Amino acid sequence: MEDYKFLFKVVLVGNAGVGKTCLVRRFTQGLFPPGQGATIGVDFMIKTVDINGEKVKLQIWDTAGQERFRSITQSYYRSAHALILVYDVSSQPTFDCLPDWLREIEEYANVKVLRVLVGNKTDREDREIPTYVGEDFASRNNMYFMETSAKEADNVEKLFMEIAHALIEQAKVREPVSKYEGSPGQALNLNNRPQTASNENCCSRLL
Amino acid sequence: MGCCGCCAPRYKRLVDSVFPRDPQDGLVKGNMEKLTFYVLSSPEKLDRVGEYLYQRVSRDIYRKKPGFIVIGVESMDQLLQACHSQTLNLFVESFLRMVQKLLESPDPNLQILATQSFVKFSSIEEDTPSYHRRYDFFVSKFASMCHNNSPNDDIRNEIRAAGTRGLRSVVRKTVSDDLVENIWDSSHMEKIIPSLLFNMEQGRQGLVADENDASTENQNEEEMEAPRLAENCMRDLVNKATFGHVRSFVKPVLHHFDTFELWVPNDFAVHTFRVIMFSIQSQYSYAVIETLMNHLDQHHMKSSAKVRTSMGDVLAKIIDIAAGESVGPSVLEIVNSIVQHIQVSTKLEGADSDEKAYRETLIAALGEYVTHLPDYQKIEIMKFIMQKVPSRVDNSSSQRLLQSMLLKSLLMVGSKYHTTYLSTTFPLSFLQPLLTMCQDEDAELRLLVQNILHTLIDRHQNRERLSSPTITKLEHLKRESCTRTDILFVKKNGSEIFTSLVASVGKNNNAIGNMNAIYTTIALFLVELFCEDTLVDFIRVIISFQDLALTSASLSATQKIHLHVMSVSLFAVIAQCFPAIQDYKNSVVKARRELAAHLIPPMKVRYEAYEPSQNIAEPCLFRQDEIFAILKNEGLEVSSNKLSYSVPRHSWVDAHMQSGSTTDLNSFSMEVDSGASTPIGSRKMRPEREDEEMTVENLKRLLNDSSDIRKEIEVQKRKELTHAYKTANFEDLVAKTAAKQTVLQEIHLPSIISTAVQYFVRLLPRTLSGESFIYRTIIGLIIARCTPNKLRIYIGPALKLCMVVDIEFYGKTSIVSQPVVAVKSRNRE
Repeated sequence: MEDYKFLFKVVLVGNAGVGKTCLVRRFTQGLFPPGQGATIGVDFMIKTVDINGEKVKLQIWDTAGQERFRSITQSYYRSAHALILVYDVSSQPTFDCLPDWLREIEEYANVKVLRVLVGNKTDREDREIPTYVGEDFASRNNMYFMETSAKEADNVEKLFMEIAHALIEQAKVREPVSKYEGSPGQALNLNNRPQTASNENCCSRLL
Repeated sequence: MGCCGCCAPRYKRLVDSVFPRDPQDGLVKGNMEKLTFYVLSSPEKLDRVGEYLYQRVSRDIYRKKPGFIVIGVESMDQLLQACHSQTLNLFVESFLRMVQKLLESPDPNLQILATQSFVKFSSIEEDTPSYHRRYDFFVSKFASMCHNNSPNDDIRNEIRAAGTRGLRSVVRKTVSDDLVENIWDSSHMEKIIPSLLFNMEQGRQGLVADENDASTENQNEEEMEAPRLAENCMRDLVNKATFGHVRSFVKPVLHHFDTFELWVPNDFAVHTFRVIMFSIQSQYSYAVIETLMNHLDQHHMKSSAKVRTSMGDVLAKIIDIAAGESVGPSVLEIVNSIVQHIQVSTKLEGADSDEKAYRETLIAALGEYVTHLPDYQKIEIMKFIMQKVPSRVDNSSSQRLLQSMLLKSLLMVGSKYHTTYLSTTFPLSFLQPLLTMCQDEDAELRLLVQNILHTLIDRHQNRERLSSPTITKLEHLKRESCTRTDILFVKKNGSEIFTSLVASVGKNNNAIGNMNAIYTTIALFLVELFCEDTLVDFIRVIISFQDLALTSASLSATQKIHLHVMSVSLFAVIAQCFPAIQDYKNSVVKARRELAAHLIPPMKVRYEAYEPSQNIAEPCLFRQDEIFAILKNEGLEVSSNKLSYSVPRHSWVDAHMQSGSTTDLNSFSMEVDSGASTPIGSRKMRPEREDEEMTVENLKRLLNDSSDIRKEIEVQKRKELTHAYKTANFEDLVAKTAAKQTVLQEIHLPSIISTAVQYFVRLLPRTLSGESFIYRTIIGLIIARCTPNKLRIYIGPALKLCMVVDIEFYGKTSIVSQPVVAVKSRNRE
């Protein structure tokens, strides 16, 4: 039987072709699909992980990078607990777009959303963005940073685990808020998991 | 499974018994009936049954036993259908958790299964509100399914269809119930709308191909393809929207078209908006239009004219659907908004052909909209647009452009309007500016105004037949006898209209097109308004044209010939309506054929060898006295009456032709003879007799005098006066007028001023020194009457005249009028 203590929504964003879908596939299914086509709209995956003995369910929304799907992908930012902004270390343009993405996140996502910068495709020989450049950008913008390779399964697991960790920490800090649980005006979600606060909360706990 | 022994609670045993040993066997029907009976007889157990079933299904999902999952879901569905709504509430929670669980699975079959269950659930009407239920996961997931991109075509289509069905169910479940989640919230709409549009558009190509087959066979919901489902869902959704929701669903639609660049070409956008307009409750349809226009606003800065043209085109294609329901202020709001877009567009620098296409599209949209409005609103709209037309234009090209664009809009609206009474079509506030426009300096603009007049006057669709001058008998001319309201209209506005037309025809930049148009206007008026009462007015117009051709100094020879051609053609139209003058017409035509063939239609752009107009032989010209004599013979009361006043040939033209604002002139002379019972006649009479007192003696003489003698006297006096004014020096003039101060009726002064100005204006092109002379005279006259009280009365008309002269002849505003202004301000001190 599955039961879990936390449910987090994680949304991946970034330019087309940086490897968002591959990261998700690698993490949820443990495989690297060669010749993965472009995502259309939004894809959905789920994975339950164990953090310090607590079961955490991650709802992962993998968005399309193409410009034309921007309107629907934006609508998914809002409810996200964590946003993973991915770029391709072997492609300068995908890195150059990061400020645009940040602006979009500012505009559409929750202010308290956990933001993680990921440089993917470290397995590539033709790297264009040195690690420190990515690190620097992340620290300037108050983001977590990690470099991964979906192909080599390098750091992928770690990435999601760290995110789950950080989100749990965040959730525990906000624990006092949950006093308001169950008051009539408070929206409960489908699984009777009371939300700690209407929209501001970063996680939902299972009773 | 089945591990529990007899110690397990009864409900668990019942649930377990539903599952067969081998999933191939399917649901154990007999046991299912038992379970159903059990929960029906003890409803309090329902939620526990639901919970237990959910757990079983979850376990089967985890263990990947699809056969048992299907059976579990089936039993859930059956319980849901069988149970009474009051008791469902908690059971539904378990049910939805199960559906969510299935949806979370990566297996497409389970997702489809889940959707089917959810669709069934959505058709159940619950009567207990479920405050705490949330659908955001379902919306997110179904929207995601709508975008499924499985490499397998069948699976992809199935999942997309399932996603669409799911969305539809969510909408159905939530839309009518205020107590559950607000589906109109932007976070939902931004997922639902793009998903639906995405599918609609995907199927568009295929759909267009087999639209005919699809419409004939009524496909079952279950078999329907995602695109059609999506469209149906869109219709459902839009149909449920109330006013406040319109923006929430139109905005994502617009946003989708922006990001997917679906405006050019716009057939899908048109299709979608048609779907929306036909589905929405009609009283809200104009809100869609409004939102679309706001969107157009936002696009002004950032989009190419092509995109805007396309959007305008969408607007044009759907706006008629909204027109039927628009009432009151919303109508003008929409019109105003379109007009504003046109205004903004004309201000853009360096407009290319795309920008022009954009404007044309907007005007077309306006036309589409107006077509479906009732006539009284069309008049309001015409007045409204007229207000927006800049009247006096500094020569900036954007203002010119705006003027012509707005007039084009006006023409569009006018062409959709069906005139019944001319007096309702032309309220003064509309007619006045229109007539002013028809004397504008810009020939193209004048042509537009004429076209507007055509479409508004032409009640019997005679326009085609009267498109250019001809003297052959016009076949199939549709007429009705002139009504009383029509006659009143002519009485009231006729002189202003014809004066303006004469002024318009006197512009020296009139091309053949302008001439044709003016001919058509007057011919249409003739056909519409001709009767014995109005006959004389029309004959005057013709005579005026002819006079203009004979006397004008500014018109070219070609234009003069055109005027003669128009005169004879118009006379032919009159003759057709009033056969008594047929013979006279024939005699003139015959004379022209023999002596001056170029003076009969058709008009030519260029005349090879033309005779100076002075040399036209007498029989070729229309003579007013002869015509009026014929009319008198016919026993026309009107004509004999008018004849006694004997309007001198030039007076009509004189009084009106030279000014850009004849309306001003007119209103001013109206003031003067407001006491007269027959304003037309008396007005004509006054200026010639400025030095006569209104005594019984004079009136008697006036009546007894034969018209010809009187006319000669008038002409003589006029000549003298002209001569005097022309040659006298300033001081003499002052002295002269000052001396007359006591003799002159006060009423005469404005007449003097007006006559003076008119004369000098006519002389002006020939005499270079005219300029100083005119204002000297005027000043002289004014100062002569310069007791402060009087001055106050007369300076207004004088100033008006001076300004007219300024604008007409110098193109500036201060040469002549400046001294008058100076006098005026001095007087104020």
